[in-house]
Amino acid sequence: MFAFTYQRPEALSDAVGALAADGEAKLLAGGQTLLPTLKQRLAQPSALVDLSRIPGLVGITRTAEGLAIGAMTRHVEVASSPVVREVIPALADLAGGIGDVAVRNRGTLGGSLANDDPTADYPAAVLALNAIVVTDRREIPAGDYFRGLFETALEEGEIITRVDFPQVECAAYMKFRNPASRYAMAGVFVAKTAAEVRVAVTGAGQSGVFLWTEAGEALTSDFSPQVLDTLTPDPDELMSDLHGSAAYRAQLVKVMAQRAVEKAAR
Amino acid sequence: MALEMNGSVEIPAPRAAVWAALNSIDTLKACIPGCEELEQVSGSELKALVVAKIGPVKAKFKGTVILSDLMPPESYRISGEGEGGVAGFAKGGAQVRLTETDSGTKLDYTAEAQIGGKLAQLGQRLVAGAAKKMADTFFQNFAVAVGGETVQGP
Repeated sequence: MFAFTYQRPEALSDAVGALAADGEAKLLAGGQTLLPTLKQRLAQPSALVDLSRIPGLVGITRTAEGLAIGAMTRHVEVASSPVVREVIPALADLAGGIGDVAVRNRGTLGGSLANDDPTADYPAAVLALNAIVVTDRREIPAGDYFRGLFETALEEGEIITRVDFPQVECAAYMKFRNPASRYAMAGVFVAKTAAEVRVAVTGAGQSGVFLWTEAGEALTSDFSPQVLDTLTPDPDELMSDLHGSAAYRAQLVKVMAQRAVEKAAR
Repeated sequence: MALEMNGSVEIPAPRAAVWAALNSIDTLKACIPGCEELEQVSGSELKALVVAKIGPVKAKFKGTVILSDLMPPESYRISGEGEGGVAGFAKGGAQVRLTETDSGTKLDYTAEAQIGGKLAQLGQRLVAGAAKKMADTFFQNFAVAVGGETVQGP
């Protein structure tokens, strides 16, 4: 690690101020991506602004529309929350399958979304559920939030405070893990509302999470795994690396989507 | 690890203008993602400072950019290599070809990149996507910079 100063503000406005005052400062949420990067000296921020003491960023609340989850809520809390289990059980399942126990004990919802790793799990849920990312200055609908590989609509120094997840009729998340890294090689979140079905895919797309609209439309008219038999996402848009070719990932996406539909319909 | 990428962009500008921009240091500097400095050392050799930012990783690369195989106004090769300190090294190049079309100019490129050191080890699963994005961003920026200029011009 390179040297940096450590700050732990106790008010959101102080954190916003610290970032505004120093362009090289970075926010520290759960640190499950940032800290390994710093240990390898692959980044050199001047300061870390720890969000853990700021009130109001942690917690899960039942709302009229669904759930409001604080940005600093750890994966383990979402996975084990009776409220999440009752309102959006697929979200609890997803959180319980992120990384390993150590990652789930430290990693946070807001950290995962701000980083927007193309193989992270949470972006698929946020996009499929059409959630709203709430920050210190505005509300960003999921459709506008994800902008590609590690890129989001967040401005410099903007801080996610919570995410509002609307309740849906049914939903499920299925992923195929890379056995070594446990990152998703293909993760598919299927969410069904009265109006439509949304299918979000993570781990496979060249520019991060994306909506597989063709599958969503087919499932909207007939919510059964068989309607996906003849559909496959375009391999030209998918990642190809030493873990798997784009064509292999396309097949994985299809199978994960079918399993997710099957699970959601149960 | 080595990577290969290719693509093409349509630019609504005459070929001569596109060629001039491909050889303009100011245009290149504005279009290379993360380029903080670009200076001419000799006729075809440039000195560059590029900050590569991929998610949590941020590394400064110092190196050279060389223009070679110049065939005005049709094609050239742009290549570069840089040292990113502890992060590792990166080198790459692109063969660029310009063809006149009804609406302007078509730019085709075949690029390759090689990345080594810690960045390649750790970033393994992300390097391909990131390199492709860098190349796409450069040529998109370029198309906008050149196409935009002609629209505003006299």
